[in-house]
Amino acid sequence: MKSEIVIVGAGISGTAIAYNLAIRGMKDIVVVDQGYLTAGSTGRCGAGVRQQWQTMANCTMAKKSIEFFEHAAETLHYDEDIEFKQEGYLILACTAAEVEQFQKNVALQNSLGIPSKVVSKEEALKIVPHLNPDAFISATYCRTDGHLNPFKMTDAYYQAGKKLGVTYLFGERVERIDVEQGRIQRVVTDKRTIETARVVDAAGGYAKEVGELAGVRIPVYAERHEILVTEPIEKMQGPMVMSFSQNLYCQQVPHGAFIMGRTTPNEPHGHDLSSSWQFLDAMAKTVCKFLPKVGELHAIRQWAGSYCMSPDRQPILGPTDQLEGFYLACGFSGHGFMFAPMTGVLLAEMILGLPTTLPVEDLLIDRFKKQTTTVYEKSVV
Amino acid sequence: MKQEIPFTFDGVPMTGRVGDTVASALHAAGVMKLSSSIKRHRPRGFYCAIGNCSSCHMIVDGKSNVKTCVTPLRAGMKVETQTGKGVVR
Repeated sequence: MKSEIVIVGAGISGTAIAYNLAIRGMKDIVVVDQGYLTAGSTGRCGAGVRQQWQTMANCTMAKKSIEFFEHAAETLHYDEDIEFKQEGYLILACTAAEVEQFQKNVALQNSLGIPSKVVSKEEALKIVPHLNPDAFISATYCRTDGHLNPFKMTDAYYQAGKKLGVTYLFGERVERIDVEQGRIQRVVTDKRTIETARVVDAAGGYAKEVGELAGVRIPVYAERHEILVTEPIEKMQGPMVMSFSQNLYCQQVPHGAFIMGRTTPNEPHGHDLSSSWQFLDAMAKTVCKFLPKVGELHAIRQWAGSYCMSPDRQPILGPTDQLEGFYLACGFSGHGFMFAPMTGVLLAEMILGLPTTLPVEDLLIDRFKKQTTTVYEKSVV
Repeated sequence: MKQEIPFTFDGVPMTGRVGDTVASALHAAGVMKLSSSIKRHRPRGFYCAIGNCSSCHMIVDGKSNVKTCVTPLRAGMKVETQTGKGVVR
């Protein structure tokens, strides 16, 4: 089998890149996944989408991506509902340092056209009445942030790509990427050999290992993040409620269930995706402190997924001087789903040698060579 | 004879026995429909009996989504049919 490009990973990033390449005219695009559509981090994610970031690159990626989500079904000619709910993110400031930092964040966001604002405790309680007023000082709110269905969104990209001729190979594991004289020759899976000169690494939690197959070193690691979901209940919360310092995000999805997560401190690097009672215990205590009424609900299920963590918590996109024809779409540090529309556009533009829609200097892997780089995204859970 | 426990189901007085759960008392009294499916509102009855399946979610003493199959019956309980997903009071 021959192809123009092999994309490793059929999550939201891989399907978005494949679609964006195909719509710009590339033929013979192959996407390989060791599992099925959304089997990795995409199908395990919290699926919130927000623009309230601390770095310019993350803000602009997120803003452009949300503009895409607003019209995604029409753009991709998708007949089903992607369940995009735009009721905002309410980010709680719980320390004096956060109050100060969030004012700077909102100033940056506003300068980029993101409609976020600082809100007082009283205003926050009008937006989410069941918040515990004693648990936070003030908040920031962006009404156009929201949530959508990760399975439907990925399927929309998948269906649109298929119509344009993209080939998907599921249940195939990439075992080798052969490089000769500094050029990619072929990708060998457990079922076939694909002649190709170009590879995109969109392998999520396994991005580092896929890079190693081609001799490319990527400064990322996989980290387990756990989530739980409650039984559904009539709607009682519009926005996502989030705190960085108190380590919490909690959202009611359209179906009525609450989905919530937090980072487990000192989580070892690796591919463990098991569920722990320690998470259930810590998550329940955290959510009850901020949203006591949610404590009345039964937790019905928990699961885990991999974050692909980069050194500055910003994505790593585009080519690398380590190997011609090898492109990166990884290091999203837990935010690959919400950035995917721009990941797809930027990767397609860089691969095809087109001018990029957004500046990409802050997102290239080369940034880690510079000692002067001081940008670091702290707005993460 | 076992001691009887009075309760109400949608306002109708009923009796169960010592050792009953809410759902077993309703079942013994001939109540087959305990809840409705969320999307298509089809009837749901006594099913798993171990608190897993959500078929027996009812409003008990004002609280939604009570697993009546594993909730011991107490005298004076007010049991009501729940429509929709329930609310947190």
